[in-house]
Formats: sequence, structure tokens, C-alpha cells
Amino acid sequence: MSSAVDGANPVRRGIGRALVADRMGLAGLVLVVAFLMMALLAPWIAPYDPIALDVKARFQPPSAQHWAGTDHLGRDLLSRIIWGARLALGIAMTSIGIAGAIGLILGLIAGHGPRWLDGILVLIFDSMSSLPMIFFALAVITVLGPGTATLIFVIVLVSFPAYARLIRTQTLALTQADYILAERAMGAGSARIILIHLLPNVIGPLVILICMDIPVVIMLEAGLSYLNLGVKPPSPSWGNILSEGYNALRQAPHVVLVAGVPLVLATLGFTFLGEGLRDVLDPRGAGRRWG
Amino acid sequence: MKTVLDLRDVSVDLPLGGFLSRARLPILLDVSLGIAAGESVALVGESGSGKTTLARAVMGLQPISRGTMSLDDQPLSTAADFTRMRRQAAMMFQDATASLSPRLTVGYLITEPFRIHGQPLADPETTARDLLAMVGLPPAIAGRYPHELSGGQARRIGVARALALKPRLLIADEPTAGLDVSVQAEVLNLLSDLRRDMGLAYLIITHNLALVRHVADRVVVLYLGRVVEQGPTAQVFAKPAHPYTASLIAAEPKPDPRQRRADLAIRGEVPSVLRRPSGCEFHARCPLARDLCRRVAPALASTGPGRMARCHFAVTTQQEQGEEHAVEN
Repeated sequence: MSSAVDGANPVRRGIGRALVADRMGLAGLVLVVAFLMMALLAPWIAPYDPIALDVKARFQPPSAQHWAGTDHLGRDLLSRIIWGARLALGIAMTSIGIAGAIGLILGLIAGHGPRWLDGILVLIFDSMSSLPMIFFALAVITVLGPGTATLIFVIVLVSFPAYARLIRTQTLALTQADYILAERAMGAGSARIILIHLLPNVIGPLVILICMDIPVVIMLEAGLSYLNLGVKPPSPSWGNILSEGYNALRQAPHVVLVAGVPLVLATLGFTFLGEGLRDVLDPRGAGRRWG
Repeated sequence: MKTVLDLRDVSVDLPLGGFLSRARLPILLDVSLGIAAGESVALVGESGSGKTTLARAVMGLQPISRGTMSLDDQPLSTAADFTRMRRQAAMMFQDATASLSPRLTVGYLITEPFRIHGQPLADPETTARDLLAMVGLPPAIAGRYPHELSGGQARRIGVARALALKPRLLIADEPTAGLDVSVQAEVLNLLSDLRRDMGLAYLIITHNLALVRHVADRVVVLYLGRVVEQGPTAQVFAKPAHPYTASLIAAEPKPDPRQRRADLAIRGEVPSVLRRPSGCEFHARCPLARDLCRRVAPALASTGPGRMARCHFAVTTQQEQGEEHAVEN
């Protein structure tokens, strides 16, 4: 009873169970959890130091010693993949988390605030999303220099407008809802309306969109690193491993394969999880896409 | 009796939109209305007559373009005025379920007025239980979410929440909409009991005339945003002064077919507020309309003690039954 009265943020019951019942959602959940564990436990489960050279053992195919083989400098590929998961997920989740928070705040302000402020913010969102992502990323990296911080900065800049627009649209639709009018008629202030009544009702679609965007960011990070514009070698980014393996494709094709598989699985995992969440959170909108 | 709510010549208009257009669409025109302490006033009219707009204007949810409003002699014009008045007046919306925030429990929702107005809320559970008991609901319902409530339960929660801070005025927009007849009766009895116990003033918005007869002391009839008739409920129903009121009453379903009056049936649709008719705005649908009605708009005039009507040929209460035909000269 006490939790019922004080509970300002009741969780919708049974999300976990429904997600597990959804086969695609379950597959996504398993993959995502596996990658998260890999990223978190990298120092303990990686069999070798990911940047330790052993030039004599270069381009070894998968064996009992090196389960995934070695690269052109004799580094253990499995260890590099495991540490790469930490890098990829770390960058993706940090940047998407920051972008989501910025999008949420600006979207709520635009949707619920005064008209003139909404106009200014929408202008900013639209100009940001009109920039082609890769070219914008290349331009910023050229100015600031490649590196992890630059990468996160670029990803935040190119992703937050979509989140802000989603939240703004949701907020605009709800501002005229009966329960928001009822709250205003009871004398509730803007802070209470936004935090207690709007936020829990607009955040669902954002969570789904973010989940579906994480693989996009992992791919973007891999792509930029492949172009030597992202994470600097010798850091074990999946993109770096791919790029280095590509140079030796004929000599040792296993390098590219081994770096490609986790990229594909992580992308599928987050996409499945996002789709599963969407179906579970909003059964009416099955098959509908946001963004 | 002391006036709680006082509206003088209140008008509301909405921008028509369109690029650089300054045109505005009048929704309410010069509505004056007073409600005394403990009095229950019903606002009736067809869809689109401005009933809900008036309620929203009183609560400050819809800005007014002209006129003055006051609650307990305190003017209502600035945002600060409305912040203060929302402590003393409450509104129940037409859709009871949709006016409850969907992710919050009933227990939180009915104690929310205390949190909003910084009232002491030492023991939320007890307060919630007391409020639920007041509207005849079991305490266990405090743990439910709005989508788990029936229409009648949601309506009772709305009543509990509206009355939590013991307001002076309660505005109820279609308090019986969407309820089946037995639950309607329960809600109405609840409202009547609470009025007796708490000395509340009611403004009830409805097009359900049975409800008006049951709970209203006075009735105000709106047509296209203007008051066309007002007076004590019993008198207005016994002898409507305005042909529109007479038609509304005649349009009520009657169990006895011999009592049905085909001659008073309303013809046609409500005219669009975008193209208001000339003269008397009811002339196109009025069974008594003449040339005068098409040319000259009638003013709201007294037709007897406490009664007003906006009609050139209003039936005044002083007249005897036989003299009514003299109007037709």
C-alpha cells in the first residue's frame, strides 16, 4: 500500500517476461547480455594482452593456443575482439546515452515550452539533421583530430536531433491530453507536469529508438576506425582489426572473418532487442517504425 | 446569498489561423453568470454551443478575450490569480479515465492535490483511504492504475480528487457521460450528498436534461456561445420562455407517445460559428420565426423574476395561458 501511494514512477509490470516470451526479443537480449559481459569482464576473460606483439607468430590460423588466430603483428585476435567489445559498446553507449539525455531535455522543452522557443529549437534540430552524417563526421574529425573523444562528440551531435524531435512530437501530442489539462486545472506547475506526467509517458519510444541506434553507432565507429579516422591504433577497435585484416585478406582471410562476426552479431542483437522492446511496450504499433 | 463565481460579459475567441491572418472566431459571446454558495447551476446546450469552452475559461485553461471573472470577489485575470483559484475550484473532465495520468496509481493521483498545493500530507495512505471512503470505494483500489478502473470507478476517483482540498466551486463537465443508468444515479446522489455536506457551488455542464432536473437549482441555456435563456430549473422546464429551450425539452425522449410534440421539434443542424445567421441566430430553426427575427438580433431581457430570455417573442411568466397567442398578433 505504501509503495502504491508513494510510487511516483511505477514500472510497467511484466516487461521482462513478455520480452522473454518474444523469440526475437529473447535472441536480442541473449546477444546483448553476452556482449555486455564480454565488455565488462574483458581483463579477466581475454587470454592474452590485446596489444602484446609476437611477430614470429603472425598470421596464425585459429588453433588451440589462439582460438581465433593472430594478426599481422602476431597479436591474439580473440583478446583483441573481447577488448574491442569494451571499446565499441563503451563508445556507443556513452555517446547514445549523452545524445538521448540531450534529446529528451530539449524535446520536452520544445514540446511543452513557449512557441518561440519551440521554433528556435526545431530550427536547430532540422539544420543538424540536414547535415550528411559521414561528411559532417569527416569534417569535425579533420578539425579536432581523430580520437575517442572526437568520435563521441560527433556521434552525439548527429544523433540528438532525431531523439529531440521524437520526444517533442510525443510531448506536443500529450500536452492537449485530458490528464495534462486536468493537472493544469488542479494547479500543477510546469516542472511537475513535465517530470511526473510527461516524462514517463514519452520515454518508451526513446528507449526503443536508442536500442536500435546502438548498432548504427557501432558500425559508424568501426567504419571511421577502418578509415583510420576513429580510434587510434593499436587500440583493439573492431574497425581497426577489420582494416588491418583487409590488407592481408589473401594471406590470412580469418582475420577479417573473425572481426566481422562480432560486428554482425552485436548489430543483430541490439536490433532484435529494440524490435522486441517495441512490440512488448506498444502492442498496438507492431511493425511500426519510429524516427 | 453570497456569490461564489461571477462572470460578466465573458467572450472567448480563437484565432482562425492562416498566414498573417488576424481573423478570430468567436466561441463565447458576452456570457454573464453568477453562482451562489451552495447553489447548483446547469449549463445546457447542443454540442458546439461553448459549454466546455466556458468551463475551461473559468479554470484559466482558455484565455478570455473580453469580460471579467471573479471567484469569491477575487478577480481572475493574471496567471497568479488562476494559480490561487485552482486551490478553491476544481474541475471534473468529461472523460474520467483519460483525465487520470496513466502511469500513476490511484493512491498517488488522489493525494496529488495536497502535493501540488503544498498542503500537509503526513500520512498519504490514510488520506487516500479517507478520500476513497468518501466516494464509496474500497481502500484496495489505491494500488490500481487508471486503465484498471471501470468508468464509474474512474468518475468517483475524479470526484474524490476534485474534492480533496474542499473547494468552494466544482465544475463538472458531463459528470454522467459514459456511465450506465444505475451508476449515473450513484454518481448524482454522491454529488448531491457532498453538496449538502460541504456547501459546494456546482457548475454542471451537460446536455442530459434528466440530469439537470435532478441536480440543478438554476439552468442556463447556451446557443452558439450566447446565453439564450436562464432561470430556476423548475420554472424553465414547466414553462420555457425561449423556443430553443422549448424545443430542447420537447426533444427529450418521452415514454408516452401522446406527449410528444412534433410542432416543437428542432429543424436542421446547428449553424456553423463560421457563418453566424443574421438577426436572431436561432431563426433558421425556430418554429416561431418571422421577418423581424431575420433582421434584428434580440437582446437578453427579463421575462419574470429571476428569468431571462433572448427572444423577440419570449413567453413571459406574467402572462396567462390564454394571452400567449397575443404574441403572434
